Amino acid sequence: MVVYPVIALVRASLSRYSITGLYQGSVGAANYARLVEQEAFVPVVANTVMWVASIVAATVLVSLGIAQLLNEDFAGRRLVRWALIVPWAASVIMTSKLFVWIYDYYFGLLNHLLTSARLIAAPVDWLGNDTTVMGAMIAVGIFVSVPFTTYVVLAGLAAIPGEVYEAARVDGASAWRTYRSVTLPLLRPALLVAVVLNVIYVFNSFPIVWTLNDRNPGFAHDTMITYMYKVAFKSSLRDVGLAAALGVVNVLLILAAVLVYLRTVSWREADG
Amino acid sequence: MARTDHAGATRSLTRAVTALALLAAAVIALAACDRGTERPAAAKSITVVIAEYSKDYTKPFWQGLAEQYTKQTGVKVDLRIVDWNSIDQQVSTMIQNNQRPDVLNLNSFSSYAKDQLLYAADEVLSPKTRDDFIGAFARGGEYQGKLYGFPILSSARAFFYNKDLFTRARLAAPPKTWDEFVQAARKIQGLGGGVIGYALPLGPEEAQAEWAIWMWNNGGDWKSGEAWTINSDKNVRTLQFLADLANRHRVTQVNPGKTNRTDGAFQLFKDGKVGMVMGFSPLAAQLDAEKKVSYGVAEMPTAVGQAVTLGVEDYLMAFKKSGNQEAVKQFLDLYYQPENITRWITAEGFLPVTKSGLSQMSANEKLRPYLDALPNARLAPTTDPAWDRVKLDVQQTIGLAVQPGGNPRQVLDQLQKNAVAAAGAR
Repeated sequence: MVVYPVIALVRASLSRYSITGLYQGSVGAANYARLVEQEAFVPVVANTVMWVASIVAATVLVSLGIAQLLNEDFAGRRLVRWALIVPWAASVIMTSKLFVWIYDYYFGLLNHLLTSARLIAAPVDWLGNDTTVMGAMIAVGIFVSVPFTTYVVLAGLAAIPGEVYEAARVDGASAWRTYRSVTLPLLRPALLVAVVLNVIYVFNSFPIVWTLNDRNPGFAHDTMITYMYKVAFKSSLRDVGLAAALGVVNVLLILAAVLVYLRTVSWREADG
Repeated sequence: MARTDHAGATRSLTRAVTALALLAAAVIALAACDRGTERPAAAKSITVVIAEYSKDYTKPFWQGLAEQYTKQTGVKVDLRIVDWNSIDQQVSTMIQNNQRPDVLNLNSFSSYAKDQLLYAADEVLSPKTRDDFIGAFARGGEYQGKLYGFPILSSARAFFYNKDLFTRARLAAPPKTWDEFVQAARKIQGLGGGVIGYALPLGPEEAQAEWAIWMWNNGGDWKSGEAWTINSDKNVRTLQFLADLANRHRVTQVNPGKTNRTDGAFQLFKDGKVGMVMGFSPLAAQLDAEKKVSYGVAEMPTAVGQAVTLGVEDYLMAFKKSGNQEAVKQFLDLYYQPENITRWITAEGFLPVTKSGLSQMSANEKLRPYLDALPNARLAPTTDPAWDRVKLDVQQTIGLAVQPGGNPRQVLDQLQKNAVAAAGAR
């Protein structure tokens, strides 16, 4: 059952389809060659690397901080822990639409806040300006990825036995030193899981870029996932075979990225 | 041991032979069935795919029609109402998987006709239905001289203006020429306080529609005869005019090349921030419901004397599948009965495509500006299969020309090149 869609995808990537979707025969590897020739291909790959790397890195950093905070005992901790679930439980499409309004040039909350606080002199068209749209999308990506990652880190923190902290205290280690030498190394398995799952999830994420970038013509801010959809249905290419070839490349790329990551980490582990 | 082995072997042999016999019987039975159905069996159910024009009216109408049809013919209807954002994808997937619909409603048809997937009108429409189509819309559904895209409904764009802002800017009447239009836009923009002269949506959603209206009102066109003329000098001047609105006169909203129609230009107009916008009857319905903006509807400003507007025609198509011809014919004839088609078009707030519908609906005062515009409405070149690619190309590129530093000629040259290539493609 898992294999069938993969076979279908590979088969489609070796075929030619009319604009209506009608099968017109096999073309061998021609779609793959044409894919690389597309003017938008290299920028889209660069966007994707930027999109995945910055969201995963920022998400892990932010989640480490929030998880540490939520691991402490304080009044209302249960409430905050529950509240954290909201951006995760909400549909990503709804969250994206909400952010379209937050970022809006004329009606948006963000411009209102920033101009009132005199942080910016004039409103910014966050989603229409080529220099800000990627950052605006990445921020939403981080927002929806943090809750899950925080919970993974929290679980990791809960698994660290109290004795090791006592030992560190006895040794007279500072709080920062304890965090670096005790907490972080013991969090490694949790972080490993968090990074791998986030890389896959963020790479495959469609709704954020699709929704926030829908006003922009061309492919300048697309990732490989949204580009694949545009190649199939929303660009003058309208080519299902070409899109399927990109789909195969996407799957291989994400597998390779995860494998390389796991190799590097376990190699370092063995080394350390 | 040996005996039991032997007995076991016999048993499995018996079982195998029995199975084989059963299989043979089944094959013979199947073959017999096959012989019995040399003529393709009449379809027992048909798949009907309809685009969702509104949440309120589309599904109830078609569900009602399907029930009526099933009652009359005994043929079941698998009705699928699909939203516009995903209909291209869903239909493409159905065709890829060889699960074609029997009846499909879409805004394009000629690529399907070119792929020889469709019945022509004389195969599935009664002469009475065919004769009832308004001539221009029937011609808009022809591929190589035959009607394949049956008009399902139409709409026309009109020029909307905010009466309060016009009064404040001391403008007596909506602009008739491009010069008057620029003057009006400047005066409205000059009111200050975030007021916008003209909302220009050239983002991917519907850029080809906005562009076509400006193009035609400067005497340009998509094609001349069979040849594409996207980068004609007239069209370059038109696109430069739009870029100037944004960057020189500064009378548009921010980033018009990156503004969509529905959640961009229309939203701003509905909020009372905009002096002028090109709208259509569904926008009027929303404005009437919200009662926030006092608006007027007029003809498009034009640079060539006679105002031209964009007419949009959507289609019903009948897919060729073995045994479905009679069932599809009955379904289409039911939809095209004057009371059915007119009831639906009226509910959705669109315009008629049949002569009988036109005579019934012309009494409706609300529709007057659009019906008046209909004789001077032009359609997109949907009869050319290359248009299905050209349209998407325009949507994804033309906005770039009106951005600061954009190059109208370069953008149109590229569009022209791609259009010629698409026309030459298989």
